[in-house]
Amino acid sequence: MSMERKIPIEERLNSNAWDVDERPHIRIKDPDQCRKCDSKPCLYLCPARCYTPGSNGTVLFSHEGCVECGTCRVVCPNDAIEWNYPRSGYGVQFRFG
Amino acid sequence: MSIKFDAIIVGAGPAGLTAAQRLASKGLKVLVVERGRKPGSKNVYGGRIYAHVLDKLYPEYVKEAPVERWVRKERISFLTEDSGTTIEFETNNVEHKSFTASLSDFTEWLGKKAEAAGAVIISESPVDSLVVKEGTVVGIRSGNDEVYGDVVISAEGINRLVLERSGLAPKLEPQMVGVGVKEVIKLGRKVINDRFNVDDDEGVAWAIAGFSTHYVPGGAFIYTNKDEITLGLVIYLGHGSKVDVPVYDMVEEFRLHPFINRLIKDGQLLEYSGHLTPIMGLNASPPSLYGNGYLVVGDAAGFLLHGGIIIRGVDFAIESGRVAADAIIKIHEEGGKYDGSSLSLYGNMLEESFVMKELRAFRNAHRALDEPRLYNDYAKFINAFLKRYFDVDGTPRKIFSTFKETKGNLTILDMMRDMTKVVTNL
Amino acid sequence: MDELTIVVPVKAAVPNITAVRLDPNTHNLVREGVPLMINPYDRNAVELALRIKDRFGGKVITISMAPPNGKDFLESTIGMGVDEGILITDRVFAGADTLATSHAIAKSIAKLYPNFSLIIMGEETTDSTTAHMPAQVASWLEIPFVYYATDAEPNIKDGTVKITRYLEDEGLLEEFIYNMPIIMSVYRNSNPPRDISLNRKIMAKVNGLVKVLTNKELGLNPDCVGLKGSPTIVAKIEDAKPLPRKKQIFQGDPKEGAKWLLENLVKEGVIR
Ligand SMILES: Cc1cc2nc3c(=O)[nH]c(=O)nc-3n(C[C@H](O)[C@H](O)[C@H](O)COP(=O)(O)OP(=O)(O)OC[C@H]3O[C@@H](n4cnc5c(N)ncnc54)[C@H](O)[C@@H]3O)c2cc1C
Ligand code: SF4
Ligand code: SF4
Repeated sequence: MSMERKIPIEERLNSNAWDVDERPHIRIKDPDQCRKCDSKPCLYLCPARCYTPGSNGTVLFSHEGCVECGTCRVVCPNDAIEWNYPRSGYGVQFRFG
Repeated sequence: MSIKFDAIIVGAGPAGLTAAQRLASKGLKVLVVERGRKPGSKNVYGGRIYAHVLDKLYPEYVKEAPVERWVRKERISFLTEDSGTTIEFETNNVEHKSFTASLSDFTEWLGKKAEAAGAVIISESPVDSLVVKEGTVVGIRSGNDEVYGDVVISAEGINRLVLERSGLAPKLEPQMVGVGVKEVIKLGRKVINDRFNVDDDEGVAWAIAGFSTHYVPGGAFIYTNKDEITLGLVIYLGHGSKVDVPVYDMVEEFRLHPFINRLIKDGQLLEYSGHLTPIMGLNASPPSLYGNGYLVVGDAAGFLLHGGIIIRGVDFAIESGRVAADAIIKIHEEGGKYDGSSLSLYGNMLEESFVMKELRAFRNAHRALDEPRLYNDYAKFINAFLKRYFDVDGTPRKIFSTFKETKGNLTILDMMRDMTKVVTNL
Repeated sequence: MDELTIVVPVKAAVPNITAVRLDPNTHNLVREGVPLMINPYDRNAVELALRIKDRFGGKVITISMAPPNGKDFLESTIGMGVDEGILITDRVFAGADTLATSHAIAKSIAKLYPNFSLIIMGEETTDSTTAHMPAQVASWLEIPFVYYATDAEPNIKDGTVKITRYLEDEGLLEEFIYNMPIIMSVYRNSNPPRDISLNRKIMAKVNGLVKVLTNKELGLNPDCVGLKGSPTIVAKIEDAKPLPRKKQIFQGDPKEGAKWLLENLVKEGVIR
């Protein structure tokens, strides 16, 4: 993968070793809060683009590329996110860290 | 099944594993519980470890530890879209000062040390909460299982869910932390030697401010491993609303900046990662670092020094793990009653160690570093100033008039105020 | 037969990462710096074995031929509920293809657990996807083999087992009754694995429930294992170049989108 170009975040995440659980470890527990949330910091500050804009001001979440940093849980101003670590060692497997 | 441990440690990072190694080597029954598949598989940092604590605690590290390169060159750059100013410091005495390493490898190595000393490390098990009986922490809970120990050490890192869930730390607030985003890029040893002008075992530690974070408080970094470089940035989340592109694009813009891009030509991406980091030092510590049946070490305790260009967490984590172990060993020998008053020994010993001495000295560093002007106006000003100054076109340039022409939004008063802030707090 | 003995062979697999490279000279995977993990589909096999144990009792054993760090993932299976793990590791086993591996696994099982009732395996491995192993183990042991199993109900009294299997392409659910012992491979979308228990993993470590055996203990014929026992020759290997993406985006009503997608997939010849 040549680096002198833009590399979509999905492709960058693909360079990692993964063992992703089917069961999401993070969940938007209150989508209504997202509709009311003007700034939507999760869209800008999640390093893995797990949050993407949905229709009518909602936000779609997918856990597959999550690098388990915890940023979303800290920046969400409305406490709309239920956040856990994956169980049984699932998730991203850093080889360099 | 009920095996009881003398000490249970939550988290197999540098802090937890050092405590484990030390406790086990004194014959205590130690359990380390780690959520990742093995020690190191969930840890992320920038790239450099300060060696002073290893000389004391793991003198064999020079031969054994997965050291990548000894840092020979320190660079600081102020970057704008089209120009950059770099200060470089170079030393000949590189041994035993600081080295670059992969934190996954290094943590795995610490794990082997702890296991060799007799600690039991159980991976793939996230701890959900502490077991508290009559106001005393008596064990940990993971899923449906409980395990008991005389004392529990939280070494869970900055995203300290266990402490939060047990009411021992408040929820993390954005202004307490930064998010780090990092890419590991393979270049090959020779290419790194050539492009960074270093020998085989010598490396570069490089901090870059300004455009790299779109002038938002935080900073970018580059470190050279043997065959790879690590490149990334940290954004202070208290300023998250000023971020104008998503952080995953920001790190890419940094990588594609003409000054950086030519250094990574023909590189191959090996890993993309993200992690939180405490940025307020002691101001982000939990209200108490110890209490009945528990104590807190490493990042979980806020033991991290952001001195602007340097970031030191691993050496603080290791030292605080060491201090916690020594306090526990002492209490164990005296009968093993771990209440808040006996554990105050940990607090006292911390004060004696460099952990508290240095963190107290830099207690307000974040105040100076939290100033957006530092990342924005100054970075632009330095470059505009030098550009104008070096741009010889026949018109006379006096330093002061060049300064006045290029200082942009900055007022002299701002500058003096900021200077005072930086000087008094760093 | 008074107690069920269920053996689950598991493999150390290379995770699916783009950074994994093939050595252009030896045609082998470059394993340097690549973490080993349990082949994900093997976890479904462990899960089925544990579900059988939960209902019918007995004992579940996992067995793996792997480098010494294979001990870690055998301990993880004990964390899930397996009773004991066997790691067979020896220089003479190195360089094995599926034939030599299946020989080592089959003969080790016959030697260590001569009264086994069931052998349960993953559908295939994610890093080589040959799906050879279960059939080969079956043939070394001269017992029947059922693939795509989703469930099994042994009858300890009469020594039979009712196996349910799912044929994905046909959409068929089939039931068979066989005599034990028998070997089955598990349909990968069935039996999602349970979580690892902390207490069980502590037990695995503290009580040493994973046994490490070399060929000294096993005494397998050195001509049938490792590189010597491997007739496979990799003649040629090529990097498949990824096809350029067309990057077509449909915006609008999801129903229309589904139709649009279908039409385009047919047009491209992806589906007929
Ligand atoms: C971008 C970035 C750059 C950095 N650069 C540097 C640098 O160059 N030099 C330096 O010295 N420091 C650096 N640091 C800081 C350094 O990484 C940390 O200070 C250090 O890793 C702290 O060690 P620790 O053991 O306290 O925590 P961690 O290394 O975070 O380890 C905590 C461990 O606990 C585990 N864990 C967490 N929760 C649970 C749970 N509930 N149950 C079980 N296990 C759990 C985690 O998986 C992890 O293994 C950087 C940090 C970041 C984010
Ligand atoms: S920050 Fe929280 S509330 Fe706002 S959009 Fe994101 S998840 Fe929803
Ligand atoms: S934990 Fe980090 S990577 Fe995962 S969804 Fe939240 S912000 Fe994104």
